[in-house]
Amino acid sequence: MPAMLEVEGLSFRYPESRRKAVSDFGLRVEEGEIVVLAGPSGCGKSTLLRAVNGLVPHMYSGDYSGDVRVAGRSVKATDMRELAQTVGFLFQNPENQIFMFSVERDVAFGLENLGVPRPEMRARVDEALRLLGVEPLAQRAPHELSDGQKQRVALAGVIAMRPKLVILDEPTSLLDPKTASELVGLVARLRKELGTTFLIVEHRLDLLVGVADRMVVMSEGRKVLDGTPADVLLGEEAEGYGVAVPSITRLQKALAREGLVSGSRVMTSAELAAAVEGPGGI
Amino acid sequence: MMWLSSGFLFRSGKSFYHRIDPRVKLLCSILMFVCAIIARFVYEIAIVVAFVLGVAAAAKALRRVGRTVAFTSLFSVLIFGLNFFVTRDLESSVLYAARFVGIVVSTSLFFVTTSPDELEQVMKTFRLPRDIVFAFVTAVRFVPVLMLDAMQIMDAQKSRGLEMQKGNVLRRIRSMVPVLVPLVVTSVVRSGELAEAMESRAYGAVPRPTSLVQYRARAADKVVAVAALLLFALTAYSFYVVLPPLGL
Repeated sequence: MPAMLEVEGLSFRYPESRRKAVSDFGLRVEEGEIVVLAGPSGCGKSTLLRAVNGLVPHMYSGDYSGDVRVAGRSVKATDMRELAQTVGFLFQNPENQIFMFSVERDVAFGLENLGVPRPEMRARVDEALRLLGVEPLAQRAPHELSDGQKQRVALAGVIAMRPKLVILDEPTSLLDPKTASELVGLVARLRKELGTTFLIVEHRLDLLVGVADRMVVMSEGRKVLDGTPADVLLGEEAEGYGVAVPSITRLQKALAREGLVSGSRVMTSAELAAAVEGPGGI
Repeated sequence: MMWLSSGFLFRSGKSFYHRIDPRVKLLCSILMFVCAIIARFVYEIAIVVAFVLGVAAAAKALRRVGRTVAFTSLFSVLIFGLNFFVTRDLESSVLYAARFVGIVVSTSLFFVTTSPDELEQVMKTFRLPRDIVFAFVTAVRFVPVLMLDAMQIMDAQKSRGLEMQKGNVLRRIRSMVPVLVPLVVTSVVRSGELAEAMESRAYGAVPRPTSLVQYRARAADKVVAVAALLLFALTAYSFYVVLPPLGL
């Protein structure tokens, strides 16, 4: 069975640029995985995401080599309309992906475009509103929503199309800490209830340590690290690539060097506290 | 600026007139519009305008329609002035200016009582191409967003020493440049992001997209439409046959 996402030897250079935005990149994501993609700004994360949902090369042309396959189908050979039903894309700024005057009509936007019959559309819109917990907002206008609500509504519009793979491009960058962690909880729930695969670009790794199956680090268009959150965050290289290793994890590493804690997984603050309180601890 | 443009912006209302089917409201406005065009004397136009304002008052939209009239009053004066300058005929100059006011009030009544959603429905009824309908929808949708952008840019530029309330008209207009340039730039960036999001949500996938909501004309809407047509026929008949030719 093909993986949900297979990227093989992908290189892409924008026409106006001399440097490749993505260079000889490979990645395999299995169905139902939550993969976090990290790396400094300008490292090619956004281009990679756009190559997965087809905006590259269908909307942005350039020097393209290698192959990207989603659920076994080549992105390059599949047109945007079909890709839109397999890959959902939540953009950084929710404001710019809400088109209609009311929440429910916006959630229906993708389905209207696909020509889904009205009764089925109604059911799918209601389901998406329920899954994202935005049913009470169904009749609101976009300008009456908070940023967190807008992000949820935008995600509801993506989920209503029932994509197998959902891409989130820095989904929490405009959210306050509480709303951001709620969004992460939502991602975990959607994976559990729908079996959706997630590819998430995020700088605030502390939020995602608990739910991510894998972390991939990019630098200058290449993949430099790929492993479990523990592999990446407890290793020595991540910080060198500008990855924001959570401070609790840095503490865990420091304590491990002193021999005060052991273990090969990333601990939460509570786990770390319990570990150092035990016999042999501080 | 916001005060002036609000005359053409919808605000939700619960009056009887608001709840009429948008297509019927459009018909009403068109008929009032035509009445203002076919009226041959100023007093006839005054009757039409008074009628429109009466409907607006019933719809609790009188102030907003009034604002539109205020906003366009400069044009009315201009129309009168130019006409009078060219023809030296007071009667026809007043007539043209009054006709313009009649057109403005009847059009404005439609826009202030019809939600953007309903407008979209009307456009779809006329089978306008999806791209045009969608361009309209996003334009209206992003009005509040752009206004917010503009205010933020103004604040940012003021905090850097831009003085917008000083000097003569020319200087004030020139002080708008540091606001307009970033506004245009952010809007261009925004439109790029919108295009990406549209593509990602299958815009244009099928030639005839479906719609989540469907408007159906109720019996009351049909009654209003028939009444409007009858009233129009009666008005036209009165204008040309019953009412006396009365100049200024």
